Order: sequence, then structure tokens, then C-alpha cells
Amino acid sequence: MWREWSEIDRMFRAMDLLNTRMNRLYSDTAGYRISGFPSGMTQAGPRTNLYDGGDHLLITAEVPGTAKEDLNIRLQGNYLEISGSRKPDNPEGYSRHRMERAVTSFSRSFTLPSEVDSSKVEASLKDGILTLTLPKIEAAKPKQITIN
Amino acid sequence: MSDAKDVAVRQEAMVERKSQVQAMAPFVDIFENDDEILLFTDMPGVAKKDVIINIDNGKLTLRGLREITQHGAATWEEFGDVEYQRTFSVPQTIDVDKVNAELKEGVLRLHLPKSAAAKPRQISVKGA
Repeated sequence: MWREWSEIDRMFRAMDLLNTRMNRLYSDTAGYRISGFPSGMTQAGPRTNLYDGGDHLLITAEVPGTAKEDLNIRLQGNYLEISGSRKPDNPEGYSRHRMERAVTSFSRSFTLPSEVDSSKVEASLKDGILTLTLPKIEAAKPKQITIN
Repeated sequence: MSDAKDVAVRQEAMVERKSQVQAMAPFVDIFENDDEILLFTDMPGVAKKDVIINIDNGKLTLRGLREITQHGAATWEEFGDVEYQRTFSVPQTIDVDKVNAELKEGVLRLHLPKSAAAKPRQISVKGA
């Protein structure tokens, strides 16, 4: 049995070598890379997008493998904090060949570009993407100005 | 003078186009026990219908396509459309017909059962 495993490990080493070569081949600017982050960027929490939809703000964040119950969203004024943790999903009675997915707790905070109505904020979680819809307060909404 | 025509007419307009979607290798965890090899991979934002799992000639290819819908002007954008792809060599002892996968909360769990012949067997020694 141990012989079979060492064969698998050897296979992975070959894959790693190939990967290193690939990374060298395609430098930082080109497409293929192993890590989920652009080079030079460290993992400081889930990656997020912020969109300004006129009368609301929309935040999306990558949180794969995180359950609804393990996510914490706090809003104070225009200060937003998203924190959470991912529980380890290692199965029992298995040997490990490769562990790349991090089991971590994370936290990210933002200062939103405008005041939002905290009572109308909606959050949803689908396919590992957290979506927050934050309606702006009346004073922060854009107004159409007519020319006399 | 020959009036023979080329069978295939070359279309100059059909230039090779580079794919605009960025390719990225997703993170994986791989486990193994006596019955199966288990592979977990993170593919946030990929719907079930956009996952392609292919096993051919001892090569396992995972692909997942994610398309982000734009919601107004982006103040910042740290992730976008992506094509997750990664290839592994798998032992020939995998029972391809029984391979199954599930996608939950952006995590793909792939079960690769070993064929009966590849499972370890205890051999008892008979007395003479």
C-alpha cells in the first residue's frame, strides 16, 4: 500500500514542477497562475467587489465553503465589517495528499462611499458568493437636475 | 490551364481569437482511504451547470466557468469572470462509472471510488 502512495506523491511532485515552469513561462501579467490572488497581493480576507447602482450599493464577496451561520455582517453608519470562519471539512479516516484550501477565520472592513439605510440592507449567499444590497439614505441618492 | 478550385476556401476573417476570460487554478484538497480518493476544490460563484468534469485516459480535468453580473458602476472589483481549470493524473484503478460529484456553497466535492480489484485485501495464511 505504501508503495502506491509514494507513486501518487511522485505524480504530484511532477505536477508541481510543471506548475513552476508554467508560472515562469507566463510571467505575472499573463493568465495562468496557481494562487487565487494577483501576484504581489496577500490574502487579507475574501475578495470583494463594490458596485454603485445609483440608489443603492452592492457588495459581493467570495466566501466558498462558509455556512450562513458562520458569517457575521456588521454595519455602523457607513462602516461595514464582514467577518466569518470556515470550518475544516476534512473527512474522518482519510489520509491527506494535498491541502491547499485554507481553514481560516477572516475579517474585512470597509468605509462605504455613502450613507446607507441600515434597516433595509439585504444579504444573500449563493454558490459561495455573499451579496449585500445596501440602499442609500434619501439624502445620498442622486438627484436629477433640470436646466431652466 | 487548370480550372480546379480549392476544396476548402480559407477565410481570412477567421483569425484566432484569444480567450478573454482569465484562467485560474482553484485550490484543492485531496484525501484518500481504502475505498476512494476524495477531492475538494473551491469554485466560488460557479453554478452547477457550468462545471465540467472529464476523466479520459487517466487524466482528470476540472473546469468551472464563472460569469459575474455587473450591477452598476464598479467602485472596486477584485474578482471577475474566471475560468477555473486544473488537471490531475488519476490512477487507472479508479472506477470511472462510479465517480460522483456534488457542488455546495461554492465547494466541489468529487468522489473517485477505487475499483474492487484495487482495494487492499487481507490474505490469510493457510496451515499446511
